[in-house]
Amino acid sequence: MPRATKDTKQAIEKKEKRNTKKVLTSKAEMKKVEKKTNKITEATKNKKESASKSKSVKTKQTKLSVSDVPIKSKKGVSTTKNKLPTKTQKQPTKKVEVLEYYDLPYRYNETIVKLLYQTPTTLFVYWDISDEDKQKYIEQYGEYFFYNTKPVLIVKNKTLHYQYEIEINDFANSWYLQVKDSKCVYEIELGRKAINQYVTIPNNYLSVTTSNDIESPNDHVLIENLKPEITFQNVKTKEYYTKQFDPLSLEKIYKKENITVKKFYQKMYKTAFVDAKHFDLHNPSSGNPTSTFK
Amino acid sequence: MKKQPQGYVSFVLHAHLPFIHHPESKDYLEEQWLFEAISETYIPLLLNFQKLVEEKVDFRITMSMTPPLLNMLDNRLLQERYIDYLKTHIELAEKEMKRTTYDERVNQLSHYYFNRYSNDLHVFHDIYHDNIIQGFKHFQDIGVLEIITCGATHGYFPILYVNEKTIRAQIGVGVQTYEKYFGRKPRGIWLPECGYVPEADKYLKEFGIDYVITESHGVLYADPAPIYGTLSPIVSPNGVIAFGRDMDSSRQVWSSINGYPGDYNYREFYRDIGYDADYDYIKPYIAVNGVRVNTGIKYHRITGPTENKDIYNVQWAKDSAEKQASHFLHSRIDQITQACTYMKKPPIVLCPYDAELYGHWWYEGPYWLYILFKKIYYDQDTFALITPSEYIDKFPDMQVCSPCRSSWGANGYSEVWLNETNDYAHRHLHKIGDKMTELAYEYASFADDLDKEFETWKGSSPLYDYIHINTTPLRRLQNMKLSVLTKEQKEKILLIRALNQCARELLLLQSSDWLFIITNGTMVDYAKKRIKDHTGRFHKLYEQIKNHTIDKKFLQSLEEKDCIFPEIDFRIYR
Repeated sequence: MPRATKDTKQAIEKKEKRNTKKVLTSKAEMKKVEKKTNKITEATKNKKESASKSKSVKTKQTKLSVSDVPIKSKKGVSTTKNKLPTKTQKQPTKKVEVLEYYDLPYRYNETIVKLLYQTPTTLFVYWDISDEDKQKYIEQYGEYFFYNTKPVLIVKNKTLHYQYEIEINDFANSWYLQVKDSKCVYEIELGRKAINQYVTIPNNYLSVTTSNDIESPNDHVLIENLKPEITFQNVKTKEYYTKQFDPLSLEKIYKKENITVKKFYQKMYKTAFVDAKHFDLHNPSSGNPTSTFK
Repeated sequence: MKKQPQGYVSFVLHAHLPFIHHPESKDYLEEQWLFEAISETYIPLLLNFQKLVEEKVDFRITMSMTPPLLNMLDNRLLQERYIDYLKTHIELAEKEMKRTTYDERVNQLSHYYFNRYSNDLHVFHDIYHDNIIQGFKHFQDIGVLEIITCGATHGYFPILYVNEKTIRAQIGVGVQTYEKYFGRKPRGIWLPECGYVPEADKYLKEFGIDYVITESHGVLYADPAPIYGTLSPIVSPNGVIAFGRDMDSSRQVWSSINGYPGDYNYREFYRDIGYDADYDYIKPYIAVNGVRVNTGIKYHRITGPTENKDIYNVQWAKDSAEKQASHFLHSRIDQITQACTYMKKPPIVLCPYDAELYGHWWYEGPYWLYILFKKIYYDQDTFALITPSEYIDKFPDMQVCSPCRSSWGANGYSEVWLNETNDYAHRHLHKIGDKMTELAYEYASFADDLDKEFETWKGSSPLYDYIHINTTPLRRLQNMKLSVLTKEQKEKILLIRALNQCARELLLLQSSDWLFIITNGTMVDYAKKRIKDHTGRFHKLYEQIKNHTIDKKFLQSLEEKDCIFPEIDFRIYR
């Protein structure tokens, strides 16, 4: 192949690669493109050779057109239309590779409080107030509303019916909360409290929004919840029935007399049953990497 | 004739890997996780099942095969790359056979690896025609293996359920994927990370799931206290049966002090020629960028708490596995005999493990299982192996209790998937879940109408049959020549494709693996990138859908990369 054509071919290859924003990462892919480009080159060879007396002019033109094509911006994919001559627009059709780069959105600009549990006594809450709502408060309560108030979280235990307040700050958007009671339904209210007399809000407190309900997990054996009658189900027939669980009729449940749930657990879980209610939940597998996969 | 067993043991192996598929590059080391798992775990398990069947050993085992794993095992590109992986390893083992003539013991091992990788290639390509799912299906079909499903992408329910539709989709797509590969409905599900929340019960029932596997305290801390602990399943008020992990058996295998995999005769995981061999020699077989990584060829045994590792001896390792199988057997006999003195029903000891423990991390694990199953069959009649489904059918009476919210992560709740290192991701998981349900709500009836439109083609267009080959009518249209369609119809189909891709991006984002990896501190950059990519891709598509500016090339590139669940229908979020 004459050198001129070879150079032109490389230029077209380069052009085409950038034009289609395809990243060629393997030799196989390179070959595919090479094949396609070969065809293009062959087809346009004569035309090019006659049209262009000098390879340097051609190359220069090519370079120019390449630089004309905007390469994608860092944050996304360019949607700019292909500006290259139509004959080189034939693209490798099989795989379309679009260069991508993403950052996580800083925020979603919405007024929200979401609540999750981490452990039976640790809750995780995150929140945000939309710009629109912020503006609304400013319009209603004055320009310095957010300087004259501080954010608070009201922790509401809906099972045991109590609530208390936790002070947070405007630099945070999430918090881990230690709570006292496991196996309770909690709700968090995000609010703002007046910190001086320059703002007038009823009861010095403004509720912004409330979270979803979440039930914290249970953390002990619930022997206290066993009623004298224990409910069973035959899962085939879907029938429910009960068995007595009082000291006089233990044999109806266990083979041996004087066995209670607690004693049964002590016998069967000698090492793991810590006390009357708690197990050692240290899961040996969690300290051991199961594999290098994860 | 064998007498009626007094109790049962049920092994459940959880086979899972996150969906890793990079057609754009061969340089992603993470793709090797699949190849290592196939060679070290999945093929050895299949071979040992086959041996047991041939030796007429009556055994039972349960495996969860997660939808991402099934999608990867069924992926042509990954199948081809696995074959390349094997060929490279065979080539390396061949070189090793020449290099290691200085020590006969090492040289024997290099021959062993050569044979092993060659056999893998034979099994994978010649026997299973590059798709080992068929192998597992075969053992399920002949009744020795029960395969259960999992959440679609291993999304951790206790984090996702603030938008219940998203856990419904995890369950629904998990069940649909199972049906596609195994031709029947799953009876059980491995809850991703054993993450149980009672809110999922109704969706489990909706998709026909009978039972779940939970961590021990999922049952032990149930409400009210279960009278038989984990030795019997319980049924939730909503009708979902929960089997809790047995603590004793899991500690025997797992204990970092005296757990079985730590035996001094076993193969040392952390000594690999990828690190030990001369750099120039090993360079073609390690990472493309020249970083040393495991090759899978390892010559040392654990030896003891020392840096001076002795050479691995295959026979010694087998001897240890046999001893440990006996120990496990007798421990279970004692446990079940004792339980039977108190219980009025035959106890079940449920032993769930990560499948990849067997073979990948604990190299001798599959052999240990094989020996154990033979011993259970031949050496005793106190207990028998059983699958959870069989146990339910035999002993359908169980106490009604609400299982406890729990997981099998460190300390038993959500600390692994929700902590200071990864909690930045949760708002994105939730927001995108909400946006997806919003899209489904907005476009579901549009898709219904389109379905009806295609329905009218019945009998009049050959395209109708083509569209209806798969369960979801719209599915295969994206790959066909659309010359017969009007411009308007093409645009509608493009919209459906974009909506379905949104569902894929959300599901991939929800994978619990990314959060786990960040907590664990290995491959963190990759996990963070996946969170960014799926979030970014979703938002971008979402905007394009809303603005009626779907970029066909962009969509197509996502369909190629994130090609999990080709049949997905976004209406699952309705």
